[in-house]
Amino acid sequence: MSDGKSTQDWMKDWQALQKQYWNAWSDATRAAAMQPPDPSTPWHEGLEQWARLFGDPARQNDTADRLLSSARSYVSLMQSMLSAAAGNRLADAPAQAWSEAMRGGFNMPGMDAMLRDNPMAKMLRDMRGPGLQGFDQLSATFAPFLAQAQKEGMAWLHAPAYGYAREHQEHYQKMAAAFIEYQDAVARYNALMLKSSQRSFEIFEDKLAARAEPGRQIDSLRVLYDLWVDAAEEAYGEIALSDEFRKVYGDVVNAQMRVRSQIQQEVERIGVDLGMPTRSELNSVHKRMHDLRRALKDREEQGDGDDLRREVEKLRAEVAALQRAQVKPVSAAPPAPKAAKAAKGK
Amino acid sequence: MGPLKLDPQKALDETLRFNQKLAAGLKTLREMNDVDFGATAKEEIYREDKLVLYRFKGESKPTAKIPTLIVYALVNRPYMTDLQSDRSLVKHLLALGEDVYLIDWGYPDLSDRYLTLDDYINGYIRRCVDVVAKRHNVSKINLLGICQGGAFSLCFAAIYPGKINKLIAMVTPVDFHTPDNMLSHWTRGMDADLFVDTLGNVPADLMNWCYLTLKPVRLFQQKYVGLVDILDDKTEMENFLRMEKWIFDSPDQAGEAFRQFIKDFYQGNKLVKGGLKIGDKEVNLRNITMPVLNIFAEQDHLVPPTASRPLKDHIGTSDYTELAFKGGHIGIYVSGRAQREVPSAIHEWLGRA
Repeated sequence: MSDGKSTQDWMKDWQALQKQYWNAWSDATRAAAMQPPDPSTPWHEGLEQWARLFGDPARQNDTADRLLSSARSYVSLMQSMLSAAAGNRLADAPAQAWSEAMRGGFNMPGMDAMLRDNPMAKMLRDMRGPGLQGFDQLSATFAPFLAQAQKEGMAWLHAPAYGYAREHQEHYQKMAAAFIEYQDAVARYNALMLKSSQRSFEIFEDKLAARAEPGRQIDSLRVLYDLWVDAAEEAYGEIALSDEFRKVYGDVVNAQMRVRSQIQQEVERIGVDLGMPTRSELNSVHKRMHDLRRALKDREEQGDGDDLRREVEKLRAEVAALQRAQVKPVSAAPPAPKAAKAAKGK
Repeated sequence: MGPLKLDPQKALDETLRFNQKLAAGLKTLREMNDVDFGATAKEEIYREDKLVLYRFKGESKPTAKIPTLIVYALVNRPYMTDLQSDRSLVKHLLALGEDVYLIDWGYPDLSDRYLTLDDYINGYIRRCVDVVAKRHNVSKINLLGICQGGAFSLCFAAIYPGKINKLIAMVTPVDFHTPDNMLSHWTRGMDADLFVDTLGNVPADLMNWCYLTLKPVRLFQQKYVGLVDILDDKTEMENFLRMEKWIFDSPDQAGEAFRQFIKDFYQGNKLVKGGLKIGDKEVNLRNITMPVLNIFAEQDHLVPPTASRPLKDHIGTSDYTELAFKGGHIGIYVSGRAQREVPSAIHEWLGRA
């Protein structure tokens, strides 16, 4: 491919490569009878189709999920970079142009617009495991309610509660306030992740620029990807060790705990109404059990100590008796007849 | 000249090879059975609540006169010290003649949420040390504390110096406020009371998520992209899966112990600043007058070497030895270099007069 190629020629080359990709992919998955799709289909789609064909949700293991998820992101990035390389548009392009191509690779079709140009936030969202997914779903459930609250100017959140249901109203006000505080903290956290993503591309450009000398140029997609990972971690490390991040991280954690706590109180109230055992009751039982266990252990050890003390006292008494028995022959008192007899016999 | 010299055809071939390996290997991955772990035979010596004290059994009788008790962290499972036959600190120590015991903390549930550091250190560890000493008819034993277990071992040795012959601290945080300690940095703005009061015990998933976010791209994406390279190697895959098992097989954390660990160690940095109390006992590191071996990993992202090194400035012993290992927090147990260097260094040091 030469520099003098027209856009039309470049398109042809790229389409040929795309077709080659899908034909090879189709050959590799022949057993699954996959038909090659339109050559312009994003490459990671192939992984998704294939995963659906082979995927058995009942047997899907976590490692396979993580592997596929990482592979999708990787292949998408590779397609973006290869597209740039195939056109030869960037053969002598500076690091910035390659960095832009890499950035484009993260913005996969169909992704949440909020995550655009923010691969770090996307990464963190993808990471959420069972412990956090539930909480996210809960947040989504409350989102319309909060949107309505925000629409009404939030004034009602601070309105004094009164009447028969005042306790309930106050509780819901607190819960809504906690959710809003949490959303605000998460937004500030995501803003820092965006900053981290932007910084990662700056560092990536610097790292690329350092490879522009002959003999140091990058000739493999994997090496390119690894270089971006180094840049991303470096950028994230800078942000994550900043004072601002420390504050925001603490705010997110604390705000989430306040939301959880409000929800727990509500669940507890419902539990009491339905005559179900509650978390507080269980805590109380566990605390008593723990205190009893400690007391019992102390008593057992105290018992062991008493036994040891008794044994030591007994041994001391025996030693004292033996000492007394040895001391007697040299005492000032007249020798006992038996001892005198023994002395005579020597 | 630009930084990239990508031949489109070669790059396409590289991507296709990646896809082909993935296609062939992912099916195999789904069909692989769960991996086993733990290479060395062991016998149960003592049990209390969910804790079990084990003694490892080597192929020959131990030659060491004084036994060594391993105190592992609460946040992961202790089988990392004996993961598999060719990756086992325990196995190597036994082969060198050491007599090795280990505390397995088990998996705390909500009935354990009120366990405090007092229970762990003045209770469980003290009783395990006493059990081992009594079995061997010695007044002092060797203690090998790892990571958080190392911090516990420092507390124990400071409170009960008369029970410890020699102390080994391995990847142990001592100064929690060094500027490169990301984990500590993040915990400083947390309301530990609100956290524990809300969660009770701290779920393992939450802990693991926190660890992964220390290096999110490397640990959540690059690692699995790299996995494609070994998908067709059964042994390598088993090693990988065994490690995955260990990483995510984490116990929940007993709430009260977690609360104190965050407040006094991570936030208060009391191990070096002073004022630390475990139950009614004060911890003064100057009471550590027995010989100390401090082993840390130079590329440790969980416990940076800067957090471990200050130990020498705060303890009372003049018999202090340091071993800087070229590797990370996990590599120090499982890498080939670790197998060659770490057990022999420990054995040699323990054998010193």
